[in-house]
Amino acid sequence: MNILHDFEYFKPGNKKEALELVKKYGNKAKVLAGGTDLVIMMKEKMIKPDYVIDISDLNELKGITYEEGKGAEVYACTKVADIESSEDLKRKYPALAYAASQLGSHQVRVMATMGGNCCHSSPAAETPAPLSALGAKVVIASLEGEREMPIEDFIQGNRRNDLKEGEILYKFKLPEPEKNSACRYGHIGLRDAMEIDCANMAANIQLEDDKETIKKVKLVMGSVAIKPLISKAVPALLEGKKLTEELIEKTGEAAQGEAKPISDVRASAEYRKDVIAALARRLVKEAYEAAKEA
Amino acid sequence: MKKKIVKLDINNHVYEVLVSATDLLVDVIRKQIGLTGTKKGCGQGDCGACTVLVDGEAQLSCLMLAIACEGKKITTIEGIANQETGELHPLQQAFLDHGAVQCGFCTPGMVLSSKALVDNNPTPTEEEIKHALEGNLCRCTGYVLILEAVESYVDSLAKGEV
Repeated sequence: MNILHDFEYFKPGNKKEALELVKKYGNKAKVLAGGTDLVIMMKEKMIKPDYVIDISDLNELKGITYEEGKGAEVYACTKVADIESSEDLKRKYPALAYAASQLGSHQVRVMATMGGNCCHSSPAAETPAPLSALGAKVVIASLEGEREMPIEDFIQGNRRNDLKEGEILYKFKLPEPEKNSACRYGHIGLRDAMEIDCANMAANIQLEDDKETIKKVKLVMGSVAIKPLISKAVPALLEGKKLTEELIEKTGEAAQGEAKPISDVRASAEYRKDVIAALARRLVKEAYEAAKEA
Repeated sequence: MKKKIVKLDINNHVYEVLVSATDLLVDVIRKQIGLTGTKKGCGQGDCGACTVLVDGEAQLSCLMLAIACEGKKITTIEGIANQETGELHPLQQAFLDHGAVQCGFCTPGMVLSSKALVDNNPTPTEEEIKHALEGNLCRCTGYVLILEAVESYVDSLAKGEV
């Protein structure tokens, strides 16, 4: 009746128990959060864990907190649908809430977690680009304690990240958005629902007090490299300047020059290069306009 | 393969079923409990035919381990009609009235996704209905009649008719 290989299932009652189990079983175990990637990978025999540790119902690993001036914390097992609908996140980090709303289908968003989306470490994942653009850090927990690092250091490549044996992703820390700043997210796929992005991007722009001169830019591209790709050329081009039509054009070319896409079933490398330029032009303009109003 | 007895609350009835860790909820609902209204389509979380409500939210039973569902409240398509009279839920009736059902394979998932939406948001816009139903694929009617059925149910609710 079923197509999954045999494994032993654990449902720890709290975070400590979960950490003890991941330490005990190491790389023979997989952590189940939402299951929307893990169960499919098990069905397709891409992975065959001996143990599955289900952390999806642990309240210690769920929830969103926001404190004015200090920023937000999003716990790893928070459902993507809750990120999509969080009033605090929509108000302070709209790029992240919007990216969450574009992930999978409604059913997938109800089941999937942001921790899972990042730990799966797909280059086409929706949330890592806005998280990175927003300066998010991940907090990783083990029985020995906690450590934290920027999300872009955590994700190391296609389905590779810095989680070591005995560790689980605990939470995300989002700094308070800088004064006069705005972040925007966009994506391109083959259709408007249920698609896996062929390219996505988040652009975060901070303006000087004159609200015209660009102080700082962070532009992060997804699905065009093995991990979220942080542009070096776009900040070099834009920082210290006021945005003009000419600079917008050059921004597209700069991002295009840095993208290292592959051709696959979803898009050719050439197409991805084209749309990354279009995304960069659109998002930089949108973020700039929004930062003026911030 | 080690099995254990779990209690699953499905449509307000607690079933004791013998499952292994690897049994998927969709299979247990269909083959062990015998509620075949829940359909098994792609098995990949793409088509939405296996949608059930778990604690009131539309979720994919083809990606859920049955053993993980102990303590949760599951509703299948069989659970939303009036259990005593057999009268269809007004949303099911709206699907019939608008011809939003053809082969019927996607219908349980469509109805349950729509129900979860309207239960949480009784006045959804057209865009919100489309967003909520984007994970339910239909290859017979297309989506216009389905959208009309949901909109008509929303209208009836607003007018206090249902």
